Amino acid sequence: MFIGTEKLTHTYMPGTPFAMEALKEVSFSLSRGEFALIIGPSGSGKSTLIQHLNGLLKPTSGQVFFEDRAIGSDKTELLKLRRRIGLVFQMPEEQFFSETVFDEVAFAPRNLGLDEEQVRTGVKDALEKVGLDAELLYDRHPFQLSAGQKRLVALAAVLSLNPEVLILDEPTAGLDPAGRRHLFLLLDRLNRDTGLSVLVCTHHLDEAAAFANTVLVLQGGKVILSGPAEEVFAKRDQLYNLGLALPAVTEIMYGLVEKKLPVRTNIYTIDEARKEINKLKGRQE
Amino acid sequence: MSRSITMGQYLPGNSFIHLLNPRIKVLSLLLVLFLLFSIQTYTGLISLFLVVLILIAVARVPFRYFLRGLRPILYIALFALVIYFFFTRGGVVLLRVGIITVESEGVREGLFVVTRLITLVLFSLLLTLTTTPLSLTYGMGYFLKPLRYIGLPTEEVAMIMAISLRFIPTLMEESQRLMRAQIARGADFETGSIFRRAKSLVPLIVPLFVSAFRRADELALAMEARGYRLGAIRTRMYEDTIAPRDWMVLAITLALIAVTFTIGL
Repeated sequence: MFIGTEKLTHTYMPGTPFAMEALKEVSFSLSRGEFALIIGPSGSGKSTLIQHLNGLLKPTSGQVFFEDRAIGSDKTELLKLRRRIGLVFQMPEEQFFSETVFDEVAFAPRNLGLDEEQVRTGVKDALEKVGLDAELLYDRHPFQLSAGQKRLVALAAVLSLNPEVLILDEPTAGLDPAGRRHLFLLLDRLNRDTGLSVLVCTHHLDEAAAFANTVLVLQGGKVILSGPAEEVFAKRDQLYNLGLALPAVTEIMYGLVEKKLPVRTNIYTIDEARKEINKLKGRQE
Repeated sequence: MSRSITMGQYLPGNSFIHLLNPRIKVLSLLLVLFLLFSIQTYTGLISLFLVVLILIAVARVPFRYFLRGLRPILYIALFALVIYFFFTRGGVVLLRVGIITVESEGVREGLFVVTRLITLVLFSLLLTLTTTPLSLTYGMGYFLKPLRYIGLPTEEVAMIMAISLRFIPTLMEESQRLMRAQIARGADFETGSIFRRAKSLVPLIVPLFVSAFRRADELALAMEARGYRLGAIRTRMYEDTIAPRDWMVLAITLALIAVTFTIGL
């Protein structure tokens, strides 16, 4: 198992009247290089789950694995782990504290104890990875950037650790449609080009569905569905009952099927849909 | 960290004590504190100590929350005991080590003062553990009202107190989230010299301030949009009524004071 959990249970504030069981015996596993989604309604335990994956939260019971080894509580081990598993929190630009973009992105490599030369290359690489013009941004104040740019800088601030796994919590929250599409295209490119394993928590399947290999569906702290993306997305009614909508394009294809037109329904992008409909028109002519 | 702070306050429940009117609770506490400092004898003090124990049982709040609340005064209590034991003269000599003596009067007075302190804290904890912060500020604000006539903005002060209390858990949660986020970026808040650790707090404090100011701004706008004006007379959604049980509690408190003073406890 590359990364995963076994019977992971987490209770917030155990032993008090405020005790809340956020995760109940969650088991799942992912392979290296995958693009995985964790979907589920708000409060289903997504954020709690991913914070276990790099040891920020400790399981109440059960275990978390990385490269077949259970994550323990040894401090130096945890530090190494957090370098290899990058975690981007929800609204990550709210963590900004530096006066320049350079310092913001350099925070992580400096914490690793790299020398200034390595830090400089790390920052440049990270900013270029997210498609920003590094030289142009170095001296800008992070608060002056646009919402989309801020999000990308926040992403670069984690990528500067050079992680093998990138975990993102609702990475598109608060972005406009163009920004959302751009972000997912970027994650897809990082996944393909650099072999970075990507794990995204979201409840907007619209922009995410097309890129996922594996999907995990959570509700009330339990795993409801999991498996290859197509298999999970095929369970449309079950997803609907959980309050999760398939992408609008996929819904259109289902609509066509209801009108007795022979089209596939495992379609998640407009391009695929256009091809499928053209194929149908070709057959009919 | 967030636990010790949020837990220091309210624990939900629906016991007799929880349901009391906050104004009556605050007033009764004031009366009991007055009583506590008027009592001169062990009989009276022990009786009052038993009263608070009974009330804790009635409130059905687990005793460990009270123990946790007593922890901060542990050192003050020990310090007081030591001072009284070694420096108060009178009565029989109980212990003599070199020039240091412990005399019975010192032990008697020391234990008395410490018991009084513990009883006082237990009564106060009973109030804060069974009253929501909002009710509590309302209850206290009510007794500040007369100050309005000498020009103090009491309504506004009560509102400021209520909002501050309301946002303590929010800010605690926020700081925990930020701490985890910065740890995920390799920050280290625990090791190093004091100077280093203080410096390592910058990535925590700056975003916390930024978000606190943003929140304050948004809250002010939302309040104005909903008609909040300085100096306006506000009404409450839940009109607070003083029920028979509240009169009963007040009567019992007054009766305790009366008894104490008549038989001179």
